[in-house]
Amino acid sequence: MKRVVSVSLGSSKRDHQVQVELLGEQFEISRLGVDGDFERAIAKLHQLDGQVDAIGLGGIDVYVYAGNKRYAFNDGLKLMEAVKTTPVVDGSGLKNTLERDAVKYLMQNTDVVKNGTRVLMVSAVDRFGMAEAFAAAQCDVTYGDLIFAAGIPYPIKTLQELEEIAAKLLPEMTRLPFLMLYPTGQKQESRDEDKAEKFAQYYHDAEVIAGDFHFIKRYIPDKLDGQTIITNTTTASDVEFLRQSGAGRLVTTTPVFEGRSFGTNVIEGVLVTLLGKPCDNITPEDYLDIIKKLDFKPRIFELDN
Amino acid sequence: MATHEEISASLQSFYEGYQKNNKLKLMNRDWNRIIIIRASDIDSQHTLTLQNGELSVTRGAPDQNADLVVTSDSETLADLFYGDITPTEPYMNGTLVIQGSENDILRLDFISLMIWGE
Repeated sequence: MKRVVSVSLGSSKRDHQVQVELLGEQFEISRLGVDGDFERAIAKLHQLDGQVDAIGLGGIDVYVYAGNKRYAFNDGLKLMEAVKTTPVVDGSGLKNTLERDAVKYLMQNTDVVKNGTRVLMVSAVDRFGMAEAFAAAQCDVTYGDLIFAAGIPYPIKTLQELEEIAAKLLPEMTRLPFLMLYPTGQKQESRDEDKAEKFAQYYHDAEVIAGDFHFIKRYIPDKLDGQTIITNTTTASDVEFLRQSGAGRLVTTTPVFEGRSFGTNVIEGVLVTLLGKPCDNITPEDYLDIIKKLDFKPRIFELDN
Repeated sequence: MATHEEISASLQSFYEGYQKNNKLKLMNRDWNRIIIIRASDIDSQHTLTLQNGELSVTRGAPDQNADLVVTSDSETLADLFYGDITPTEPYMNGTLVIQGSENDILRLDFISLMIWGE
């Protein structure tokens, strides 16, 4: 039995464990939330190091991207460096492959994504593969990085502008405590009422709302009108929440096990285990090959309102 | 140690950087705030006022309550507003103290990086 554990800065209320068989290998996949307690996360990582087959870091990004530049969050690196033996991943390898391919798949096989589709990406630098794929699909994309992370009502409309702004901001912003930029712990349980009201129009104007689920949930307005949500890390109660919120459809980019789509970090941990190679030697092609073998495809759930 | 005049000059430089950045004005059109810049080691206060995306700088304290109070030693303030250093390091090590809501602090950081960032 292979063990993959996601240590998440998020709420422990979302903890979960499943057993699955993938390519003939038995896996126990679990998620441990530390409720935003950074030191508890470090302690848990020390405890798991050398005891499990792979570790995913959840509720935090280590690496974000804009164009061909990669930026590393200090807090994320601290967590990663706490693990000395076991392969540790943050999901960015899959965001660059699986999620990019998910948009292509939706374009080629469904009517969810097509030329001109109005897409709101609540945050793009943490999902740059998806951001590039929407642009390549000639969607009308609003990158909401400034809107939702900083509260600045400035929709970024091109990848070039996103890269320019990222180059100014990210070298410094990645040195700040991650919790200043992203909802962790208890913040994942509540909505930011001010921003949800102030920026509701961006949700209403979109046909597709894509990106990190906690961002989507934290700023979701009172009532959507049938929009498609493309995300992952959703539980059965999240699906119900989206249905109640008026979303018309949910697309998860990671596979669903026992009613739950795990985060990219934990799925990347599974793939790293299956590949059996050191993380540094794994290429995007390795990920794409094994994703094909596993037949991972986006899952589409119609949400009847 | 910087003088009050040097801090004034650095704020003028910050103001000029802001004025040249039309995108930043657009970004801040909804953010009306009064910000006090206070030196901890000399007698020096300035007020930054953002109103409908326009920035103004005046010497002394404001007539009304401030939304943000930025306090540091005079040298750090001058370096900061000249763009010689970014706010992140002094903010993280406690040299730069900003009183206000977390959202406002983050936004002020964004403004300075949009002016002086790489």
